[in-house]
Amino acid sequence: MKPILVLCLGNEVLSDDAFGPVIARLLDHSAYQHDRVEVMFAPVAGFHLLDLLEQREKVLVVDSIQTGKVRPGTLHFFPMGQLAPSKGLTTSHQINLPTALELGRKMGYQMPDHIDVLAVEVADNTTLSEELTGTVAAAIDPALKSIERWMAAHSTETAI
Amino acid sequence: MKSIVIDPITRLEGHGKIHLFVNDDGGLANCYFQIPELRGFEKFCQGRPVEELARITTRICGVCPDAHHMAAAKAADAVYGVTIPPAARKLRELMYNAFYAGDHTTHFYALGGPDFVCGPDAPKAERNILGVIAKVGIDAGKKVIAQRARGQRVIEIIGGKKVHPVTSLPGGLSKGITKEEQQEIIKIGQEMVEFAKFTVQVLNDVVLANKAYVDLILSDTYTHQTYNMGLVDSNGHVTFYDGEVRVTAPDGSKHAQYEPKNYLDYVAEHVEPYSYLKYPFLKKVGWKGFVDGMDSGVYKASPLSRLNVSDGMATPLAQAEYERYYETLTGDRSGKKPVHSTLATHWARVVELVFACEATLQQAQDEEILSPNVLNVPTGIVGEGVGIVEAPRGTLTHHYKTDQNGIVTEANLIVGTTNNNAPITMSIKRAAEGLIKKGSKITDGVLNRIEMAFRAYDPCFGCATHSLPGEMPLEVIVHDATTGEIVEVARR
Repeated sequence: MKPILVLCLGNEVLSDDAFGPVIARLLDHSAYQHDRVEVMFAPVAGFHLLDLLEQREKVLVVDSIQTGKVRPGTLHFFPMGQLAPSKGLTTSHQINLPTALELGRKMGYQMPDHIDVLAVEVADNTTLSEELTGTVAAAIDPALKSIERWMAAHSTETAI
Repeated sequence: MKSIVIDPITRLEGHGKIHLFVNDDGGLANCYFQIPELRGFEKFCQGRPVEELARITTRICGVCPDAHHMAAAKAADAVYGVTIPPAARKLRELMYNAFYAGDHTTHFYALGGPDFVCGPDAPKAERNILGVIAKVGIDAGKKVIAQRARGQRVIEIIGGKKVHPVTSLPGGLSKGITKEEQQEIIKIGQEMVEFAKFTVQVLNDVVLANKAYVDLILSDTYTHQTYNMGLVDSNGHVTFYDGEVRVTAPDGSKHAQYEPKNYLDYVAEHVEPYSYLKYPFLKKVGWKGFVDGMDSGVYKASPLSRLNVSDGMATPLAQAEYERYYETLTGDRSGKKPVHSTLATHWARVVELVFACEATLQQAQDEEILSPNVLNVPTGIVGEGVGIVEAPRGTLTHHYKTDQNGIVTEANLIVGTTNNNAPITMSIKRAAEGLIKKGSKITDGVLNRIEMAFRAYDPCFGCATHSLPGEMPLEVIVHDATTGEIVEVARR
C-alpha cells in the first residue's frame, strides 16, 4: 500500500477555490511531516482521481465547498459518503468522486476504505484571482490544526 | 404561459440554464439558453509575461487544459516572431493527438455514450459510465480506463506533467524526449490503435445496430443546416494542432479558408442581453438571428464540422471510417454532402478518435522527435500573435498583444464552445419543439432528449472550479408567466 494521503484539490486562480492549494503549500514544511503520510496538490477531478486514490488505505480530501447554509470560512469535516455535498468533487464534465470510487472498485482497483473530507465554505469561487477572500483566509490556521490532528492520528494507527 | 427551467444541465462543464417558455396549450413559445460564464480571463492576462499564459490557461478550463496550453504557446511563438524547430513542432503535435485520444474517449464512454448505451429513457442514476459498463462489461470499462491513462502518460512524457502540461515555451519546448521514452510512446500508440478498433466495434454493436438510435440521429429534431468550421492541413485533411481555418457553407461549398492571424476578417461576435457568452458568426454572411441556412452567419465548430470542412482523414483506418460515416448518413463517401445531424457529432468524434490514435502511433515513430534541438530562443519581438488549435469541442483562438517586454496588454479568446453558442441554442429549441406538444407530459426522458441535443457539442462553459457544489439535482421549475408564480418544482 502507498502512504496515507492528504489530497488538496482546487484551482489556484479562482479566489477561494485556491484553499486546497494554499493548504498544500503550507503543509510542505517540516513541522507537518509524518511517517506514512503524503501531501499532494492536484488541480484535477473525475477520472484523474482514480490514479491518485488507488492503493491508498486512508485519504483526507481538502477542498472548498458551497452549501450556502453557513457563513463563508466555516470548516466542514465529514466522512465521504455521509453528506450529500460529497457527491460533488468534480468538474461536471467528468465523473464525480463517488462514481470514481465505485468505478475503481468495479475495475478491481484497490480503493480507500476510509475517506474524510475537510472543506471550507467559500465566499467566492468564480472570480479570477490568486487571493483568498478574508473570511476564507482566516480559516487556514484552524484547518491546519485539524489536518495536523488527522495526520497524527492516522499515521500511528491503522484504524480510527 | 409556463416557463420550464432546466438547471443545472447535467454532465456539462460549468453550469447552464435552459429556459423553455411553454404556452398554456403546451406548445413551445420560446427558448433561452443562459450561461453564467466565468468572465474576466482576458483582463486577468493583462500585465503578465506572455510566456506564462501557456501554464495559467491550463487552470482556466477543467476540460481542455492541453488545448489552452497549445493555443497559448502558439500565440506566444507568434508574439516573439519565432518559428519553432521541427522536432518541437512534431512533439507538440504528438502530445496533442494523444490528449485527443484520451479526451474523445472520455466523452464517448462517460458523457455522450450513456444516452445511447443506456438509452435516453433510462433513469438518470443509470445514465452514466457505471451504466455503460453494466451494459458493455467490466473488461470494456478496464479498456476505457487504460486508454485514458495512455493519453495522460504521453502528456506526462512530453508535457512534463500528467494533466496540465508545462513544457511549451515561446520558440518550442523546454525539453526533448529520450529513445526509451519514444519506445514507450510507440507501444502506447499501438495499444491506442487497438482501442480505437474496439471503440468502432462498440459504436457498431450498440448504436448503429439499433435502428431506433439511427432514426433519432437522422431525425429533423436534431438537424441544423449551418456553416461549418475547422482546421485543415495542406492536403485538406482534418488536423488538430496546426493548419488553416476552412469554412464551408450548408450546401458543402467552400466559404473561406484563411490563416489564423486573419481570423478577425471572418469572424464577428453578436451579443444578447440575457447571456454573458457572445455569439460568434461569419462576418461576410452576417448575423440574422438564431436561424440556419445559407443566409445566416451561424456556424458550428465541432467534430461534426471538422469532418464536414475536410477532404478526408490523413490515416488509413480513420479514412475508412470517414467514408463509412458519410456513406451511411448522406450516401456520398467523399463528404462533399455535409452531415447536419447534431447527434452524428458522437460518431464524428469516434472517427476523430481513430485518427488521433493512429496519428499518435505514426508520429511516435518519426526519428526526428529525438532531436535535442527543440527550442529556438527568440531574439526579437513582434508584439502581437494569434494561436489557433482545434480543441476537442471546437476551434480555439488565443490572440495576444504585448509591449516590447512581452508583457500582455490585450488578450482575446474565442473558446471552442463559444463558437457553438448559437447552434446550441438552436438545437435545444428544435429538440424542445419536436418533443413538447400540446397535452404531452414533460417526462424525465423528454428533458433528457433536450439535453442530448446539447451534450452532443461536448460543451464547457465555466472553468475548473473544483469546489464541492453540493448536490447537483436537475431542477425543473415551472412558472406561470403571467403572475410569475412558481406552480411546480420537479427535482431528479
